[in-house]
This record gives sequence, C-alpha cells and structure tokens, in this order.
Amino acid sequence: MSSKNPFVPKQRFMMPRRRFVQSAASMGALGALGAGIAPRPAFAEDVPKPSEIIVRAWGGIWSESLAEGVSRPFEEATGIAVRHDLTEDNEVQPRIWAAVAQNRVPPIHVNWDTTTNATKSALRGVCDELTPDVVPNLEGLLGAAQPSGFEGFPIVNCYSYVYVLAYREEAFPDGPPQSWDVMLDPQYRGRVAMYNDGIGFEPVAVIMGGGSMDDIPDNMEPAWEFYRQFREQQPLLGEDPDFTNWFQRGEIDVACTIISNARSAKQAGIPVSWTVPQEGAKYDTDALWVPLGLPDNEAYWAKQYVNFALAGENMETWCSGLGLPPLRPGLEGPDDLVGDPAYPQTEEDFARLLNIPTDILVEHQSDWFAMFRDIMQS
Amino acid sequence: MTSAAQSGAVAPPSTRARWRAIDAIDGTLRRLFPPRARWLIPYVFLVPAVLIVFVIVAGLFYIGDSSLRVLDRSTFTQSDDYSLTNYIGVYERTGYRSVLQRTFVGATTVTIVVLLLAFPYAYAMVRTTSSFMRKFLLFNLFLPFFLGQVVRAYGWLIILGQQGLMNNTLAQFGIGPISVLYTNTAVTIGLIQYMLPFGVLMLAPALTAIDEDIEAASGSLGARWWETLWYVVLPLAKPGLVAATVVVFTISLTEFAIPAILGGGTNDYVANAIYDAFFRISDMGAGSALAVLLILFGSFLVAVLFAVAGTGTMGFVRESDQ
Amino acid sequence: MMQSAFARRLVWTVVWFNIVFLGLPTFVILAASFTAGEILTFPPDGFSLRWYQELLGMRDFQGALWRSVQVAAICTLFSIPAGTLAALAMVRYRLRFARTLQIYFLLPFTVPLVVSGIGMMFVFGEIGVLGQLWPVGLATCAINLPFMIWSVSASVNRLDPDLENAAANCGATPFQAFFTVTVPALMPGIITGALLMFILAFNEFIVSLFLVDVRIVTLPVWMYTSIRNIITPDLAAVAVVYIAIAAVAIFVLDRLVGLDIFLKSK
Repeated sequence: MSSKNPFVPKQRFMMPRRRFVQSAASMGALGALGAGIAPRPAFAEDVPKPSEIIVRAWGGIWSESLAEGVSRPFEEATGIAVRHDLTEDNEVQPRIWAAVAQNRVPPIHVNWDTTTNATKSALRGVCDELTPDVVPNLEGLLGAAQPSGFEGFPIVNCYSYVYVLAYREEAFPDGPPQSWDVMLDPQYRGRVAMYNDGIGFEPVAVIMGGGSMDDIPDNMEPAWEFYRQFREQQPLLGEDPDFTNWFQRGEIDVACTIISNARSAKQAGIPVSWTVPQEGAKYDTDALWVPLGLPDNEAYWAKQYVNFALAGENMETWCSGLGLPPLRPGLEGPDDLVGDPAYPQTEEDFARLLNIPTDILVEHQSDWFAMFRDIMQS
Repeated sequence: MTSAAQSGAVAPPSTRARWRAIDAIDGTLRRLFPPRARWLIPYVFLVPAVLIVFVIVAGLFYIGDSSLRVLDRSTFTQSDDYSLTNYIGVYERTGYRSVLQRTFVGATTVTIVVLLLAFPYAYAMVRTTSSFMRKFLLFNLFLPFFLGQVVRAYGWLIILGQQGLMNNTLAQFGIGPISVLYTNTAVTIGLIQYMLPFGVLMLAPALTAIDEDIEAASGSLGARWWETLWYVVLPLAKPGLVAATVVVFTISLTEFAIPAILGGGTNDYVANAIYDAFFRISDMGAGSALAVLLILFGSFLVAVLFAVAGTGTMGFVRESDQ
Repeated sequence: MMQSAFARRLVWTVVWFNIVFLGLPTFVILAASFTAGEILTFPPDGFSLRWYQELLGMRDFQGALWRSVQVAAICTLFSIPAGTLAALAMVRYRLRFARTLQIYFLLPFTVPLVVSGIGMMFVFGEIGVLGQLWPVGLATCAINLPFMIWSVSASVNRLDPDLENAAANCGATPFQAFFTVTVPALMPGIITGALLMFILAFNEFIVSLFLVDVRIVTLPVWMYTSIRNIITPDLAAVAVVYIAIAAVAIFVLDRLVGLDIFLKSK
C-alpha cells in the first residue's frame, strides 16, 4: 500500500544501486588521484553528450546572472545547450520527489534551490551525490559550502545572501531607516512588504518582538507577537519578482528582500536602496544539486555543469551579477558593493548578521511558515 | 474497381462498402445489445465521460492517502501508518479556518453578484430584436473568455494599482488615492469579472426557452413588470439559475489564480492554502487534508442545491422529471 | 416585461455596466501592449511595436503557441464524443444513481485545480506517459468536461424524440438514425461545447504546470512562469495575440454556424 504513494519512497532503507556503484567508482578514482597517476581531462569526452540540459533557475536577475556566468560559457565549452526552467523551486520540488519515487526521469537536470529546500531533498534521498572525482571544483570552497548534517555533498552551497531592508529613496529623504521598526511605522501602513512565507525575517522578528537569538527555535512567541502587529500594517506578501514590481509601480516603500532584488531594481533605474539596520539582518545560502533518476550520461553532464558553476571565474561572474559573495575565497566582488555590510566577506562582517543553522531551519521552518500563514491570513 | 461502378444498375463500390460497413456495425450493435439488454445502452454511453473524469478521481486516491499520513521532518517522507493528525491540524489552525471562511463568503458573494449582473445581460441578449446588438453582446462575452485568468488579472493590476487607471481618474476629481489592489475587494472584483461570462452562458439557454408570449400575456393581464419577473420569468428560468449558481459557486470556491495575483498574499482562498502546504511547507498531508475537506464541502453543497432546486436544463435530468 | 420603460432602462443600464466591466481589462491590456516604455501602464507611455518585435523573436513563444493549439485540439477531440454520449445518456434515459452521477460529473469543478494537477501528475507518472502532450489534452478535457456535457444537454432537451422515431419508421437502423438525425440535431450544443472546451484548454495553466516540463511547455504555462518573474509589456503583447485568436475564432464560428446559435430555441 505504501509503495503506491509517491511520497513514500519504495526503498527507504536500501542504498539505491546506482548510488552504490557511483560511490564505489568515486573511491577508486580518489585512490588513483592520491597516487597522482592519471591527470584528469577537463571533461570526459567519451561520455555521450545530451543535446541539452535543463537548469531550474529563478527568473529576472537570477536567470540572467546564471546565464552570463555559467550557462552561456558552459554551452560554448561543451556544445551542450542549456535551458533555464523558470518554474519556482517550490513547485519543482514535489515533481522531483514524485519522479524519484515513481522511478521516472526528473523534469530537470540541475536544481538551483535554497539550502533549506535542497537539504529537505537531500534528507529525502533524491539528490545524486556530488563527488570530487566528477566535480573537482568542490575542493577549495569555504566551509559553508559543505551542507550541514551530511558527510559528503548531496548538494553544494554556492554563495551567501542577506535579506536586507530595501526602501524607496523618496520615502526616506533623511537617509536610510536605522531600525527594522519602520516595518511597524503607521506612516507606511499598506506600503510594507515581505516574502509570502516570512522567509528571511524570522530572526529579526524574534529580536523585534523582544526576544534574542537564543530563543530560536524553542521560544518563537516574540516573533509571532511581532507578526501580529505587522499584520495590522496591511503588508504585501510576495516572491522575488514582486518586490521589483512593487517598487517600480510605487506600491511599497519598505521591504525585507534579498539584496539581489533591490540591487537589480536600482540598476533598472528605480530609486531603491537598501540597508542593514542596527538589529542586523538574516543571511543564508543557496545550493546547486542534481536529482537522482537521470540517465547516466545526462547525470554526468549535469554534474559537469555544477562543476563549471563552481569554477572560480564562472562563480565570480555569476555571483557578481547577483551582488552576492561566493563561497570560494579570493574572488573579486562587484565594485558597487565594496564595504557594504550587506555584502559580507570577513568574519567581522558575518558577526553583525543573523544566521539560523540549516538543521534548525530544516526542522522548524515549515512550522514557522505555517504559523506565519496563520497570522497573515487571520 | 471502377469498371463495376460503371456497370450502371449496381451502386458504386464506395457506396456498397458504406452499406456493408453500416450493416456490420448494426449487426454488431444488435448482437451486443439484444432487446433485453437495451437498458445497458445509456450506461455504455456514459463510459467515456466517466473514464475521463476518473483521471481526476484516480489522482484523488493519492490525495486521500496522503491526507492520512504525517510528515516526518527528519526524512521529509510521509509516515507508513494512517492517522487523522492532518485533519485535526486543519481544525486547530486558525489560519486555515479563516481561509475557509473567507473562501465561502467570497464564493457566495461572487455568486450572488454574478447572478444579478448576468441575468439582465442574458435577458437582453435573448430578447433584443437587433441582430447586431445580440452579436455585439455575444462577442463582448466571448472575448474576455479567451483571455484567460492570468492576463485579465494583470489588467486589473493596471486598473486598480496605487498609480493605476482608477486612482489617476479619481485624482482628477481630487479624490484618493484609494487602495483597492491587494485587498479582498480586488479579489472579489476579479472573480466577478472572471465568472460573469460563465453565468451568462448558463442562463441564456434557459431564458431562450421562455416563450415571449407568456410574458406578454402576463403583462396584458395587468401584472406589473416586477410581478411578471417574479411570478413568470424567474420560475421558468429556474433551471438556468441553478446551473449558473452551481458553476459560479463551485469554480469560485476552488479558485487559485485570482486570489494569488490580486490578493497581495494576505487574502488567500483555500486553494492557495493547499498550494502553500504542497509547495512552501512541503507537507503533502496537510494540503491533502484541506483539499479533501474542501471537495466534500463543495460536493455536499451542490447535492443540497440539486435536492432543493432540481438539476436544471443544463443539468442531467429530463425536464419532464422535474 | 420589457414593455415597462423603467424595466427596460434598468436592464440596459446593467448591460452597459457589464459591457464596460467585461471589456475594461481587455482594453487596458490591449492599449498597454503598444507602450514604448519598460513597464505595463495605462495610458501607455508613448507608442511602439517593440514588444511585438520582441515577441516575434522568441522561439520559445512560437513553440509554446503551437503546443497550446495541439493541447486544445486534443482536449476538444476527447470531449466531443464523451460529452455528447454522456449528455444523451443523462437526459434521454432514466438512470439509476442519477444524483450520484451528477455529483461525480461535477468533481472537475469541486476539486481545486492545484489538487487535480498534482493528482494527475501522480496518475500519469505511474503509467509512464508524462512528457507527452496528449495527457495534457486529456487533463484539460477532464477538468472542463461538465461544460461539454451541459452544452449538449441543452440541445438534447430540445431534441424531439419523434424525429428519431420517424427515421426508424423510414427504415433507418439505430446507427444510421444516430448519425443522420440525432447528431445533426445536437450540432448547436456540440459546437458551443467544443468551442468552450477549446478556449478553456487553450488558456489552462494550473493543471498543465504539473504535467509539462520546459521541453513541452504550453503558452499559458510559459506566460505564467515568465510573467511571474518580471512583468514586461511583452506579456500584454501575448495577450493581444490571444485577443486576435479570439476574434478570428468568433468570426469563424459566426460564419460557420451563426454566433447566436445557442440562443435559438428550435
């Protein structure tokens, strides 16, 4: 009975055969590497190339930066066409889960996902392990690239990003707001925005509600109290592209959004700026991963795509486009973000920001989203 | 081949082939349905439609199954054993309760307003003596139909936004700006506009069937126009009213796109809450439980309506049965 | 009723309100598509055809448009026989469990599309047909089938059974009578229903979202995913393509059978 339901994996306690074969092969390859015998070619040209691979990307600036930094150079280097699927990561997740459970080929080759979502998929066992023999660029990344709670790399974190306070410059002639309390300022009633699941705001909400980082995850009541007050502000709730739109159309003055969205709006000529208020701001990471169930050669080239994305030069272009610090040391950031607290690079920078460990997010974030919903829909 | 056709007295082979084919089919049909099996015919007629709808029903088995399983947060898989935890969750979560209430109130409002707007439209379309006017009204009905929900919702974004058409117009009279977009009102307006053509299309055939002479007779017997409306037209139009009510209410009750685009995130309908559970919270079970409850609720209301009011012309029962 | 001047004025006031109310979003989108600016606004910011040019340059758009036509055609082909036979069965014959059948045939409306979509993804996934267009056509047929059944039901209700009896008396076999008498008499309902099914399938995006991947994406899904990311006036240009298709379809329908066909009682 349970095997009929695609949400109950068929072989929960068995290691899928293919993964076993791969990990065995990777151990062999590592052995060869250690002995320093076989110099690896850039790509194993004997693996048959698919005509195209599909990478799930967000639209707008996200898709554009990935195309410029990774997808287009990858096409040139390999001759494999790269197509971006603009479906939301949330919508693709159950499709991949169902595909793996039903032993079907998943709808995409590479998923670009929030670390929390990607970790859920990794826990569920639908990620094709990335190993240094196939993805040599896993080496030399910062520690945060390693997914927490896993020995290897079912997913790889690529960069960090800050959920900044973005604001319309005309609404703040006296300079940027100093505190997140503008979110509750009656002056901006109906003109404040946040992600529609509250993502990126949880630690700030806890602090603004009178709690501290130590309260997470056991005592979230301060956050709920803050959200209840925030609900009275008649906020707009949306996803990445909505913020740009709303700023463009003059619908909002203040938003908690990822810096990339604010920066791309600014680059498009919309008078928007951003700041990290005194309470700090949450930072998080995004990941790349390859779903299980692809034909072997396509899985190989999907992993080559990931490898390509992690190469210093490509990563630099990709992340600079997004205005986000890559998780590889020694890369140059965009000039306009030098010294910006929302572009953290040093330990000192990170110390000013707020972070919730991935394992806590994975375990609790769904409940927080549900609670956020409850408050916002009441 | 052609020589036989030219022999004159005999029908051309293509015709004979057709006769033979028809004979063969008739023969097969006779063998399949001897007179005592004639009662089976309507059931055979139903098979294709039942099978097509069964694609949805088969999917509901997965949904029903999921609704009884609890999500395990350490593996993000569902439990092997069944429980009612998800249903209790729907009851206990205030967010779900308020979304259910908003959806029901919204769908009811939309149904009432659409009926009020659609009835005169359908009536005028059926009764107008100008063929041009009738065509114009039909054209105006079909055009937005083609335009899909998403595009129409974006039309409303332009109209209702802070700096949109409505506020620009109001500003010229020194009023505003008023915030309608991203409120429940915007969702209701968008839904009414979306459902109006459905309402008219369901009402029109029923109004067509009302003989104009009956109305005239009522008038000549001294009835005022509202008396004619109340005692003659509305009772005769009941099948259409029932059909329009069922269509508008059920589709509004399960609506997703318009609340998502025009609601600004705080005016969700049940379908949006189900979407969130499926996709944002990765909790298939919670969304499935909510879905099962919504389907039962909607089907129950329709059953009650059918029992009280009959099934309508557009419904599935012979008119003589009613 | 229309003999009363007040009633007449009331009816036509509502009608004119409806005309504006129905047409306004269409009109606004149409006008906005000709903007020279970067965002969708009304009144448009200058006049240009740049967004149409952009659209023509997108091969994704053309592929998606063609696939949508195919999906809509497949949906219509499934729905015509299924809807016609079901309507005949439900209206002509006294069925057992008629009430239950009515509720069953309303499931496409009482089940939220998001749920239907996910469910059908499992079903088609299990039988291994995902990634093709016909399951999408079948799915769009399933979620709109009540419209087909109802359109034909209206015609069946008006069909005089004596016609078929007369055909039988003249020696027609049941099969001949069905195709030479019954089907032509039901044509108005079949055509109305088929048109509705085509339009609705052509516009469907929620269910399709789970049944297509980027290789076989249909136009509404393509629009939904790309619009959602950044709204540019090319969306409005796509909308105008829809309007154009609509206008042509309505014109063809008018020519073929007369637009007011389903308003006629006999």
